[in-house]
Amino acid sequence: MGKDMTYAERIVEIGKEIGADNTEAYIYWHKDLSIQIRSKEVESLKSAEQRGVGIRILKDGKRGFAYTSDMREDSIKKTVQKSLDNSRENEPDEVLSFPLPAAEYPQLDLYDPEIAQIPVDRKIEIAKEIEARTLQQDKRIKQLERAVFEDREYRITIANGHGLAKSYHGSSCGAFAYAIGDLNGEQQTGFGMDYAKRFRDLNIDEVAKEAAWRATQLLGAKSQKTQKAVIVFDPYIATNFLGLVSPGLSADAVQKGRSLFAGKLNQQVASLEFSLVDDGRLPQGIVSAPFDDEGVPTSETILIDSGKLNSYLYDTYTAKKDGTVSTGNGIRGSFKGGPHVGTTNLFIKPGKISRTELLQDIKNGFYVLEVMGMHTANPISGDFSLGAAGLWIENGQLTYGVREVAIAGNILDLLQHIDGVADDLRFFGGTGSPTLRIAQMMVSGS
Amino acid sequence: MFDKKEVADILGIALQNGGEFADVFIEHKATNSITCEENKIEDINSGIDFGAGIRVISGMTTAYAYTNDLSLGNLKQVALTVSKAVQSQKHTLQLDLRHLKPGYHLPVEMMPEQVKIREKVEQVKLANEVARAVDGRIHQVMVGFGDVVQNILIANSEGHWVEDERVRSRFTVQTIASQGNKMQTGYESYGGFMGSELFKQRSPEDIAREASRRALLMLDAKPAPVGKMMVVMDSVAGGTMVHEACGHGLEADLVQKGVSIYAGKKGQKVASSLVTVVDDGTIPQRYGSYHFDDEGIMGQKNILIRNGILEGYMYDRMTARQDNVRPTGNGRRQSFQYRPIPRMTNTSIAPGEMDPKEIVKATSKGILVKKMGGGQVNTVNGDFVFEVSEGYLIENGEITVPVRGATLTGNGPKVLQKIDMVGNDSGFFIGTCGKDGQGVPVSASQPTMRITEMLVGGTEQ
Repeated sequence: MGKDMTYAERIVEIGKEIGADNTEAYIYWHKDLSIQIRSKEVESLKSAEQRGVGIRILKDGKRGFAYTSDMREDSIKKTVQKSLDNSRENEPDEVLSFPLPAAEYPQLDLYDPEIAQIPVDRKIEIAKEIEARTLQQDKRIKQLERAVFEDREYRITIANGHGLAKSYHGSSCGAFAYAIGDLNGEQQTGFGMDYAKRFRDLNIDEVAKEAAWRATQLLGAKSQKTQKAVIVFDPYIATNFLGLVSPGLSADAVQKGRSLFAGKLNQQVASLEFSLVDDGRLPQGIVSAPFDDEGVPTSETILIDSGKLNSYLYDTYTAKKDGTVSTGNGIRGSFKGGPHVGTTNLFIKPGKISRTELLQDIKNGFYVLEVMGMHTANPISGDFSLGAAGLWIENGQLTYGVREVAIAGNILDLLQHIDGVADDLRFFGGTGSPTLRIAQMMVSGS
Repeated sequence: MFDKKEVADILGIALQNGGEFADVFIEHKATNSITCEENKIEDINSGIDFGAGIRVISGMTTAYAYTNDLSLGNLKQVALTVSKAVQSQKHTLQLDLRHLKPGYHLPVEMMPEQVKIREKVEQVKLANEVARAVDGRIHQVMVGFGDVVQNILIANSEGHWVEDERVRSRFTVQTIASQGNKMQTGYESYGGFMGSELFKQRSPEDIAREASRRALLMLDAKPAPVGKMMVVMDSVAGGTMVHEACGHGLEADLVQKGVSIYAGKKGQKVASSLVTVVDDGTIPQRYGSYHFDDEGIMGQKNILIRNGILEGYMYDRMTARQDNVRPTGNGRRQSFQYRPIPRMTNTSIAPGEMDPKEIVKATSKGILVKKMGGGQVNTVNGDFVFEVSEGYLIENGEITVPVRGATLTGNGPKVLQKIDMVGNDSGFFIGTCGKDGQGVPVSASQPTMRITEMLVGGTEQ
C-alpha cells in the first residue's frame, strides 16, 4: 500500500509544481492467476502483475487526461505534463471538480487471505475437478471446451489536490466451465460460472451442473412457427437485457438527451413487479468497494421502485450539474480513462414466487436461454431484434428445444409487460436477476 | 533498449525446465484519443502502454506471464515463474538471435506525432459542426478520433528477433436524429493502417454527412417486415457477414477443439461455387494489416474457401504445430497482457462477374442491405445474426422504401450455399473483433451478392 500511495502523492505534487490547479492520480495494481484445463491437461496457465496510473488535471476550468503503465519517474513526469498539455486543448467547463475527502466510508470485507495462500498446484486440481464434475453430469457431455479457475488480488489508490488519499485492497476468485453437449454429432455449448469474494463461497458443483444443463437443453432443437407466446427470461438473459436498461439510468445519458428515461422521474416506467437496485456496498458483491473510482463513498440506490423511476446514477460531475450529490457511481473501465457514470452491483429485486410457480400457468410460452446480437440492440431508442434459442413451455412445463427464431421489440414496452418475477436472484459478475416472465411477445420463426 | 544477449538469457531461463518453445513479446504503445459530445470536446486522452509477456509451450500446455516492470531482473524473475509450469527435462539453450526483415512494406505517410493534438481536435470539432448542419432534426452528435503507434519486439527460442511498428488511425461519427417521439441513430467510420493522412484520404466532413444522412433516412423508414426472404447485400454494406458467417469458424483453435461447424470439412464443398473467401494481412492501409503477426510470423494472403471448396484454416504457432502445418501469420494478441490465438486480419469474399445493378433487377421481392451493423456468431452450429443499419425493400427489381430495425438471422454454411449471384464490385468495413476477451483491429469486405433466403427479424406488427 505504501508504494502506490507514495506514487499517487508524488503525482499530485508534480502536478502542483508544473502549474496544475488540481491533480488526481488513480493507481490500479493487480495480480492475476488463471488456469485453463482441457482434457485433464493444463492448456494454459497465466500469471500477471501490472500497475498503471491515470492522471486527471484541472487547469483554468479545463480538464486533461493521460495515463501510463511505465512507472519510471521520468515517464510519470512526462505523463503529468501530457495531461496538463491536453487540458490546454480542451474547452473550459465550470462544473468540473474533484471530490473532497468524505467524513465516512463504508467498512467492507474485500480481501480473503485464503486465496493467496492456496498453492498453484491445488488451484490446478480445482480446475481439473470442475472439468471432471461437469463430465459426470450427463452422458451427452463428452468434452469441455475449457474449465477455468482464476483469482485476482488488487489495490486501488486515489489521491487528489483536496487532500483525498484513499486506498483499498481486495481479492476475488472464479470458476468457469464451458461444456459441449453432443447428440448424434449435433453439438451445443453451455457455460456455468461462479465468482466469489471468498474462496470458501465458490461453488464448483453448481458450475458443473449449470454448464451441463445449458449444453444439453438445445440438442435437437428446431425452429418454431411464427406466433405470439408468453416469454420467460432465464436470469442470465434478464441480466443481458439489463445492459440495455442501465445506460439510460445514468445521469450523464439523461443530461445529454440520450436516455430512454429522461424526464420520467416518479413516473411508472415498468410494471409493479419490477424493482431495480444499484448497490456499491452490497456485502460480498463482486464489485463492491468502499468508494468509487474518484473517491466518493459507494451507496445503495433504488433506481426503479415497483415500476416507478426513483433515481438516476450520478458521479461527481453529473451530480454537480443537477445540483445533487454523487451516488458513488464514478466508474472507470481501467486506469486508462477518466471516471464516467456506471453501475456497481446492479440487480433486479427478487419476487416471492418460485420459478416453478412462475411457469405453472403458462399454456404456450418460450423460455429464452440464449440470445444473439444483444450488442446490436439500440440503448438510445430501446429497440432490439435478437436471434434467440430456448425451450418451449407447454402447460407450465419446459418441453422441447427451439432455435433459429427471433424476438423483437422495445425495452420500455417490455418493462411494462413484466408480469412475473421469481425468487431465484442470481448474479453473473456485477449484474443479477431472478427469472422474469413477460406477457406475450411475437416469436418469429419459420 | 534491449540487448540481444540479455533477451537470449531470458529465453534460456524460460526453457530451463524443458518445453519446446518460448518467446518474449515486448510492447510499447502510444495512443491518442479525442471525443466530442454535446457540442464540446469531452475527452482528450494520451497514453503509454508498456509491458512484456513471456510464454513457454510444452506439449499442449502454454504458460504465460506478463508484467510492466521491464527491468532485466524482474523479466528474469517472470521467466522463472513460467519455467516452473513445465516439468520435463532440464536443458540449457544457446541462442544467437537473428533479426528477420519483413518481405513487404506497409507505408505510412504522416506519423501521428507529426500532427499536433490541436489540429486533430479541430478536425473533430469540424465533423461535429458539419453533422449538425445537415438537418435540424440531428440533435446529438458524437465524434471520435484515435491513433495508435504500437512498437513490438518478439524474440523466440527458434532464434528469431522481429520488430514491427503498426500505425493505425480511426475516425468515427455517430448521430442521433429525432422527430416527435422517434429517435434513430446513424454511424459512419473510416480508418486503417495509416497515420494522419487519414484526414486527407477521407475528409471528416464527408464521414459526418454520411452519419447524419443515415440517421435521417432511418427516421423516415418504416419497420422492417418479418419472415424469410431474399436478401441482396450491397458491396458497401461491409463484411460483417463473411466475418461472422465463416471467418470465425475457420480459425484453427475452434476447429481443433471441435467447436467449429467447419471442422473436418477440408476439401469439401461448404459454400456455393461462386464463393471464394480470402484472409489477407498484407494489404496496405487496411485496418487489419501488419508486417509480422504477434508471434513473429510474416503476414500472408490465405485462401480459405476457393470456389466453394474449403481449402484451409487460419493458424497461429500452437495450432499449426498440432495440425503439422506452417503457421499462416494469424497469431494475434490484443496486447502484451494476452497470449496469441488465431485471428482474422482483412477477410473478404472475392468479387464475381455480375453487374451489381443486374442483381437488384433480377430480384422480385426482398431486402437490400446497404449497411451492416454489428454481428455475432455461435461457431459450434454456425448460427449467426447481424443488424442492418441501412436497409431498403426491393419490389419488382426496384429499390423502394427504407426499412429500420431489421436483423438478419441465419446459419453460416446454409447461407453460403444460398449465394446465387455475386457482383464484380467490392467494399469494406473496419472494426474491432472480440474473441476470448481480446479485441483486435480487423477489416472485412465483400462484393454485392444475393442470398436466396434468410430470416429477417423486423418489428413490423
